[in-house]
Amino acid sequence: MNDPAAPLDLIELMSRVAKRDRAAFAALYKATQAKLFGVVARILVRRDIAGEVLQEVYVRIWEKAGDYEKAKGSPIAWMATIARNRALDEARRIKPISLEDMPEGFEVAAEEVDPLGSRERSEQLAALMKCLARLDEEKRQIVLLAYYRGASREALAQKFSRPVPTIKTWLHRSLAQLRDCLSP
Amino acid sequence: MTISSEDDMNAAEFALGTLDAGERATIAARRQREPDLDAAVKAWEALLSSLAETVPPISPPQDFLAAIMARMDGAVSAGNVADLARRLSRWRFGALAASGLAAALAVGIGLRETTRVEQPHEFVAVLQKSADSLAFMVTVNLDTRDLIVRPVAAPPQPDKSYELWIIDEKLGAPRSLGVIDAAHVTASPRLGSFDRAVVQGATYAVTVEPPGGSPDGKPSGAPVFVGKLIPTGK
Repeated sequence: MNDPAAPLDLIELMSRVAKRDRAAFAALYKATQAKLFGVVARILVRRDIAGEVLQEVYVRIWEKAGDYEKAKGSPIAWMATIARNRALDEARRIKPISLEDMPEGFEVAAEEVDPLGSRERSEQLAALMKCLARLDEEKRQIVLLAYYRGASREALAQKFSRPVPTIKTWLHRSLAQLRDCLSP
Repeated sequence: MTISSEDDMNAAEFALGTLDAGERATIAARRQREPDLDAAVKAWEALLSSLAETVPPISPPQDFLAAIMARMDGAVSAGNVADLARRLSRWRFGALAASGLAAALAVGIGLRETTRVEQPHEFVAVLQKSADSLAFMVTVNLDTRDLIVRPVAAPPQPDKSYELWIIDEKLGAPRSLGVIDAAHVTASPRLGSFDRAVVQGATYAVTVEPPGGSPDGKPSGAPVFVGKLIPTGK
């Protein structure tokens, strides 16, 4: 996905997938599987469950490809939203995983993801980054851990040694602040 | 947008993913019938969605493409059902032209299939204590008499069991549908003996019982979660 032409190709693939083109679907899968597995595996941690969820996600992408509108964002952003939602449903159903509870060899803690240093950015991402940078450090960490790791309020409360209601208030303020910052 | 600021924040947290299982299921269910709430969730999702660009890829443990394509073929969506109904009526028309006997058979089969498509036969009940404490989802297929219980956010009961009951005045006392699991899907085979109308109209209730279920076949206490069936069809 480092190819600068990739985003355009994905839009083309999406429109063919919407017309039930299986070859285009196979190409879309090849191009995006690692990205989407990155999304679901960080939330679910257990790779067997993440693999199962990944398959369900692609079936949904096949069924819903017609709903994709390129004006509303990149195909990756659209597919990742489907993947996150499905992974979060599953994560909430299975035993909660503490944020400290990462198996060895799975060095993907959100702290290591550095969105502020990310090189390839859409305009949309660049704008979001600017707004995230305006949040206090701790509050930005909370939003990003929730996004990347699917952390619940309880898990965040544990990690940051704060009461759950405080976390909830911070989340609400941070999200509202992001929206205000992004609105034209 | 005409939603309360509380719902706006529910939508925001749904999109970010910080809600617990019960809250998440409640918002997911409300989205189905509240377009404004659904729009709010989508707007929040769109606001955050570009973060996906920053997620480092991880190679899946195996190539799932063949397995996914097999599932795509099996997936039945609402659109597919409409397709099936259309194909069925075309096929029926063709058969009618073929021969009297084949036509009679085809009409018989066709009518039965059509009735199935049109009449809702799958129902779902949400068992909860209050509007925001969804605990179990019960799915009932009236044709096959399959009853499946999915835990959503049932708090674990150490040294106790949850037991599911069907309650209807035609039955007199509540009848047990068996012990249900708070962590896994449970299928109950006991529905087959009840009348279709009773199954459809009854109240489903969950009580907390000693391990293994009520010792005397009667609920030991008041239900902790209750609900009634609604059709899953459109």
